[in-house]
Amino acid sequence: MTIALDRPGAARARSLRAPRPGLAAAAVFLVLALLAALWPALFAGDPLAADPLHVLEAPSGQHWFGTDQLGRDVFARVVHGARHSLSIGVAATLIAVGAGILLGLLAGLSHKIADEALSRSFDALSAFPLVLLALLFIAIAGTGTTSLIVAIGMALVPHFARVVRAQTFVVRRAAYVTHAVAFGAARSRLVVRHVLPNVLGPVPVLAVLGLGEAILLAAGLSFLGMGPQPPSPEWGAMISEGRGYLHVAWWASVLPGAVVTATIVALTVAGRFYQRRFEGRELA
Amino acid sequence: MRRFRATLASLFVTTTLVVAGCSSGSPGGNAAQAGEPVSGGSLTWAVETEPITFNPHQYAQAKTRLLVWNTFEALLTHDDKGGYLPWLATGYEVSPDGRAYTFKLRTDVTFSDGTRFDAAAVKANVDQLLAPNYAPAVAAVQLKNLDKVEVRDAATVVFRLRKPDVLILDFLSSPQGAQISPKSLQEAENLKAGGPQLAGTGPFVLDRYTPGQEVHFTRNPAYNWAPPNAGHSGPAYLDEITYRFLKESSVRVGALTSGQVQLIEGVPATDESLISATPGLSLQRGLNSGSTYSYYFNTAHAPFDDVLVRQAFREALDVPAVLAGVYRKTATRAWSVIGPTSPFYDKSLENTYGANAQKANQLLDQAGWTARDAEGFRTRDGKRLTVRLVQSAPFVRDRRDVLAQAVQAAVKQSAGIDLQVQLVDQGTATKALADGAYELFDNSRADTDAGAALNLMLYSTGSINRTGFKNPQLDKLLDDAVATTDQAGRTELYRKVQQLVITDQALVLPLYAPQDQIAASRSVGGVGFEPTAGVPGSAYRLWLGK
Repeated sequence: MTIALDRPGAARARSLRAPRPGLAAAAVFLVLALLAALWPALFAGDPLAADPLHVLEAPSGQHWFGTDQLGRDVFARVVHGARHSLSIGVAATLIAVGAGILLGLLAGLSHKIADEALSRSFDALSAFPLVLLALLFIAIAGTGTTSLIVAIGMALVPHFARVVRAQTFVVRRAAYVTHAVAFGAARSRLVVRHVLPNVLGPVPVLAVLGLGEAILLAAGLSFLGMGPQPPSPEWGAMISEGRGYLHVAWWASVLPGAVVTATIVALTVAGRFYQRRFEGRELA
Repeated sequence: MRRFRATLASLFVTTTLVVAGCSSGSPGGNAAQAGEPVSGGSLTWAVETEPITFNPHQYAQAKTRLLVWNTFEALLTHDDKGGYLPWLATGYEVSPDGRAYTFKLRTDVTFSDGTRFDAAAVKANVDQLLAPNYAPAVAAVQLKNLDKVEVRDAATVVFRLRKPDVLILDFLSSPQGAQISPKSLQEAENLKAGGPQLAGTGPFVLDRYTPGQEVHFTRNPAYNWAPPNAGHSGPAYLDEITYRFLKESSVRVGALTSGQVQLIEGVPATDESLISATPGLSLQRGLNSGSTYSYYFNTAHAPFDDVLVRQAFREALDVPAVLAGVYRKTATRAWSVIGPTSPFYDKSLENTYGANAQKANQLLDQAGWTARDAEGFRTRDGKRLTVRLVQSAPFVRDRRDVLAQAVQAAVKQSAGIDLQVQLVDQGTATKALADGAYELFDNSRADTDAGAALNLMLYSTGSINRTGFKNPQLDKLLDDAVATTDQAGRTELYRKVQQLVITDQALVLPLYAPQDQIAASRSVGGVGFEPTAGVPGSAYRLWLGK
């Protein structure tokens, strides 16, 4: 009897080099989603063309994802919806990253009292569920795509701010910073040239993972009617519009839901892979 | 001297005939399964619409009419031909000049708080309705011709009018004319909202209301004054009934098929097959009276100040096509502001307009909306042809939001009109209407006499005149129609009204004749619709069979 034993080093080397099927699928899906968001006409026709004679038809060769309650092609709406959903996610994440870096740096470089005040407010905001925070912003700002983006961005800010602050704490005590101070570098130069580039390391990883969260949140809030208004094809809104027909036409809401799920899973897989690469360790 | 004397004896005869002659929607229509009526038991009914008020004087949602008659009652009620039957009044007389209506009242009726029902109570209700800021729409429309109410004795009350108005009878059989205990009128903390504090004379007492969830009624054991067409007399069969507010149609259907509730109303066409496929469930439909579900054009500003654009919008839409898409084959297309079941319906309007994209485009070209922008919408002087429809969520029923999206897609495709649909809360909708920030207003009314609906929506000073159209000729026609007692005369006047608003002015885009659906477990007996109104009836007739 022989037992095949891989040397641990070999397994590690292979897992870093050979593409894994999950990762490959995620990458392909994300590329397709990106293409759909940028050039939807490559994949599908008019997402708003209603056809009252062909409502709630099951998926077929002509309508891959079936038709919805107004006879619109669900696949075309999902493809065109990628632009709405992904752009909301990306814009919100950019807001969160920008504001998070700024506030995190500010807290990390401030004196004790200011740092405490900022950190505790990050903690307090983190204690609320994201959806609740976003709903609060929308309640103040009103519904619509712009306020949805701002609301999600705001809700995600503490996420980034806390990491940047912690990173700033490490970096400001690093030898190259203390030496720069000793050489009499100006404070602004110190921050821009020495601290900022070195605290940003984990941010892209977090941003990829945050993007998934932002897209999920956007779909959730659109489901509640807080996002782009009808007839805009937005994934969350599509799930919401289709849910009244779940008994008779599951495809109108289940398939957009599957696409949202696939997007977030793909982003998470990609984000985790990136995270492992960045942190230089393998979990497998 | 003409006298209308409605005596109990003759009415009993007619109603027995009426009840015996009814087929669908009659009480006991599904008695075969539910067996003979039995007393006792409790039912849960899932309804689509939560009332914005439980005060019948403030009633505004046809979908909540089935709740009103559980607790409150009116002086008269309707038979199924639009005529009147006695209820809290035993009969009435009209003076020869048509300006005094004398009602004889029942003497054995008490409100559920112990107060006696008498002529003074009727007067107290009318006085309340005329109180400033209480029910301005009722005071301004239904009671506009009322001079005063006289209490002749405890059982006799006289309504004196400034000029003849046949609609006073319709008012006194409507929810707004329902009788609330005078004690409640004085003592209720929040009179306009209503609720357990308002006592009525009805077969049930509202004893618990949980906003957003349900309202609960228990039987009034003292009740013994049902109208002659109620199907039985004495207290209600059921011990108690709960109405759960389930806004989502799929949730209602699921609650019924899983046995959590025994009745639901508002069954969308797409779900009807599920009901019929489930053994032990039955489905009934009733066509509502009153005005049809229509879009009213706001003529106060551009673009619908131009009759050509109004006509173009109507021509741009293929109504049967969008109805077929949203409601399958269950919706009845409307041609007029008045429903096809009304005696005043003008059949000659049928097939006179609509579904002509070519004509729509010609009319828009003629009106100056000639250019097109990048998205294919028509423009004039660089301004897009955008019209807004503001829908108030508590009034949206029958998937009217989905229908609006279907219309939106249709008018875009056929004529390049940009219809923007906004589904908002009641406060936002009220503000938009007050500010004139709308071009289309959608509405249907389940008034038992269509004339009452027209007075509200078409009269220049009507409280829901959302067209902003003011025309002395139209006002005169509407005035004359309520001052005319004979049916043929009224029919001719309302025919002229319909010709004016539908054909000449194109003020209205009629869509469909509203209907109600009830799906129920076959163990429930007495399921049916309110005569004439065509909306689901109260719980008085219902029983729970074995």
